Amino acid sequence: MAHITIEGLGYRYPDAAEETLSDVTLDVPAGEAHALLGASGAGKSTMLALLSGLLRPSRGRVLFDGQDVTPLAARHRNVAQVFQFPVLYDGMNVLKNLTFPLTQRGFTKEAALQRARHIAERLEISELLLRKANDLSLFQKQLVAVGRAIVRPDVALVLLDEPLTAVQPSTKTHLRHVLKEVQRDLHVTMIYVTHDQTEALTFATAISVMANGGLLQTAAAETLYNEPAHEIVAHFVGDPGMNLLDAEVRGGQVYLGEDALGPMSLTDGPVRLGFRAEWVALDAAHGLPGKVLRRRDAGTRQGAVVGVADVSVVGQTIRAAYHGPIGELPRVSVRRFVGFRGGIRVA
Amino acid sequence: MRSSRLAPWILGGYCLYLLLPLYWLLSMALRRNEDIVGRFEIVPAAPTLANFAEIFSNPVWYQGFANSLTYVALNTLISMAVAIPAAYAFSRYRFLGDRQLFFWLLTNRMAPPAVFLLPFFQLYSSIGLFDTPLAVALAHCLFTVPLAVWILEGFMSSVPRTVDEMARLDGHRFGFFFFRIFLPIIRGGLGVTVFFCFMFSWVELLLARTLTGSETKPIAVVMTRTVSASGLDWGVLAAAGVLTVIPGALVVWFVRRSLVRGFALGRV
Amino acid sequence: MSPENNRAWLGVLPVVLVVAFSGVVPLMTVVNYSVQDILDVHTRFFVGFDWYRETLRDPRFADALLRQVAFSLTVLAIELPLGILVARAIPKGRAFTPLLLVLIALPLLIPWNVVGTIWQIFARGDIGLLGVTLNAVGLEFNYTQNPLHAWLTVVAMDVWHWTSLVVLLAFAGLSSIPAAYYQAAELDNASAWQTFRHVELPKLRGVLIIAVLLRLMDSLMIYTEPFVLTGGGPGNTTTFLSQYLATMAVGQFDLGPAAAFSVIYFLVILLLCWLFYSSVVKRDA
Repeated sequence: MAHITIEGLGYRYPDAAEETLSDVTLDVPAGEAHALLGASGAGKSTMLALLSGLLRPSRGRVLFDGQDVTPLAARHRNVAQVFQFPVLYDGMNVLKNLTFPLTQRGFTKEAALQRARHIAERLEISELLLRKANDLSLFQKQLVAVGRAIVRPDVALVLLDEPLTAVQPSTKTHLRHVLKEVQRDLHVTMIYVTHDQTEALTFATAISVMANGGLLQTAAAETLYNEPAHEIVAHFVGDPGMNLLDAEVRGGQVYLGEDALGPMSLTDGPVRLGFRAEWVALDAAHGLPGKVLRRRDAGTRQGAVVGVADVSVVGQTIRAAYHGPIGELPRVSVRRFVGFRGGIRVA
Repeated sequence: MRSSRLAPWILGGYCLYLLLPLYWLLSMALRRNEDIVGRFEIVPAAPTLANFAEIFSNPVWYQGFANSLTYVALNTLISMAVAIPAAYAFSRYRFLGDRQLFFWLLTNRMAPPAVFLLPFFQLYSSIGLFDTPLAVALAHCLFTVPLAVWILEGFMSSVPRTVDEMARLDGHRFGFFFFRIFLPIIRGGLGVTVFFCFMFSWVELLLARTLTGSETKPIAVVMTRTVSASGLDWGVLAAAGVLTVIPGALVVWFVRRSLVRGFALGRV
Repeated sequence: MSPENNRAWLGVLPVVLVVAFSGVVPLMTVVNYSVQDILDVHTRFFVGFDWYRETLRDPRFADALLRQVAFSLTVLAIELPLGILVARAIPKGRAFTPLLLVLIALPLLIPWNVVGTIWQIFARGDIGLLGVTLNAVGLEFNYTQNPLHAWLTVVAMDVWHWTSLVVLLAFAGLSSIPAAYYQAAELDNASAWQTFRHVELPKLRGVLIIAVLLRLMDSLMIYTEPFVLTGGGPGNTTTFLSQYLATMAVGQFDLGPAAAFSVIYFLVILLLCWLFYSSVVKRDA
């Protein structure tokens, strides 16, 4: 497992006017479970291809343990990948599928067999070893694909490209746990690409949020949630995402309409105000007059169920943690908030 | 696909192999017979359209073209009309003897036309179909129908059954569902099947020749016959060959897009 | 699982009728002839399996059968690998790809006697590009006299005519392999050959079975092209089963023996196709 360093990485497809990926800098310590989170079209797949070596960057460098691997082809980088759907060699049995990546890199047959058996035991697929890959269920196939990715003991980096996409909903959780455990036990550097924040939050110790071909923020889940570096992160992370309202700073106070919410140490001018649903208090003795419009489906915040309501306040609709009836006319106060200017968090 | 440095050479070599005989046919078609027999030229020194002019001045040729296209069209029509319901039945239901029936159909594709020459001749003569386009069209059904059922069944099976169920839940009548919803979904497959029916009926001549008399000779037979009647005129023979290549080229040009997409989707 | 529904027979009925008319009735006629000695329309004797015995003992039948099988195996052995090789060389999604496919499909759509004519004009030693060229380099090429040359020419013609079918099928099969399989092989440090052997070949299995079956049955039925090109000669060296049969039935009007021959011929094709199919299916299980 290697320490991955990405410096100023950019990629422009031939014939494309703009870069698909621009100026990405990222540091993934050896043995870390890292997630790349972003909507489709954010540049995640391009990033993966640049890491594995299937694409050459137009700019920037990729380093494994300080060694520049940018000019190396995919086969020489010692990278493994799990794809969206199980990619196995159909004609081979499971054991052969597991030993193939080893024997291709100079392992002796005995060493390869031993290692393959060990990994199969770890993934609890030992009884499948002699079955043809083609005869397995999707879930079993994807387990074998995971096995193929981690079977090389010296693998520098394992890339996981939305690995739960193809498996049945009922087995998704199981596979997620297996991945997490294997990563922790074997200390493999893993980069997990997904558009699903639950997957990212449960798998990774550090998460990088991508949008429009750029990297917006890399942080632990808690930080992304509470201190998003960018409006898009605020909106994208969490269910529901942050409320984002146009407000104004005047003399160190932030105003929503004519009402002051609290202090914000910024120069005077417009600001984009962000706050989580649970940072809103609807039972305050004073605050803005609001109206509960409708209850929404209960969202979850890292596993804890939260009742959420749409609340109309100063002519805009916000989401707030709420369990009471509809139609109430509470006083709304915001206990905590962040501010964005030009998309970037400034307060 | 891994691109190899050899790939352009393989492809170029193969295309050259395909094109050389065709080029030679065309170059012969553009030269007079005396010229062809007299001296060897790789590029025609004095190209002429005289051979084509001779063909177009003779009504036998139009007639030959019309005959061929008539029975090919008839065959394609009959094949599609009977194969579509059968393929749907095979792809959607299990019924008594379905697998045996399917294999029996395929075995007909393995029957050599030469075996059926004589019985066909007698059968069609006895019911007065001899020397009609319908006789050839029906005879060609022997190999186009099994193939059409086979190909269509593959395409239809790749359409999820939920499509049928949704249509039923939406309250559509079967006829509406089948013609307005189901068939449009597999139109790529229909294209591929028409292509194969056309192809095998258009290129087959042993049966076509045997089952036609003077009235309905197919083009490719007219070609050989005219030539042998007037002695061996290589130029006219080549010109006629060029003309018979054209309909096939047109058909493949029109279906070129659905061809590969269709191939990839269905059983073929 | 499909619902059980015997009314589905209604959908199959038209096919059964058409194929019965164009397949079963003639086949019954053939079987009927094969057990009779027919002197004229009114004079016929039941002779049992005599014609079958005679056909099977006929050395000319054995020769034609041997030539036929040798021919079919030869063209399959060339067309299958060549077709796969060409299909792999076709670039995907380029502007000229459709045009290329049209060119490749072209030989399939040429009437079979014209295919014979094209190769006749192309290979003749006096006027053909190929024949003249080969003679010019001192090979004394003459496919109408030299049996080996005749064989090579017939095989070259069949390869020219039919390899494209394998190319189209294999190309369609290759087009449906997701890029991820190639990427996984690359990350595994698999060689080009291993990628072909372990990624492409297993995925092509289905289309290749169809390609082999179609080529096997059609090559066993070949008639028109060698008839036009060589007329079965020189001698009988390029006389295959269909041509031998046509001579017997139409040329000599030996109805009984021709019919027995027909039945055996049909069974040979069925047997070979079944042998191939069951051997690949068995390996599957």
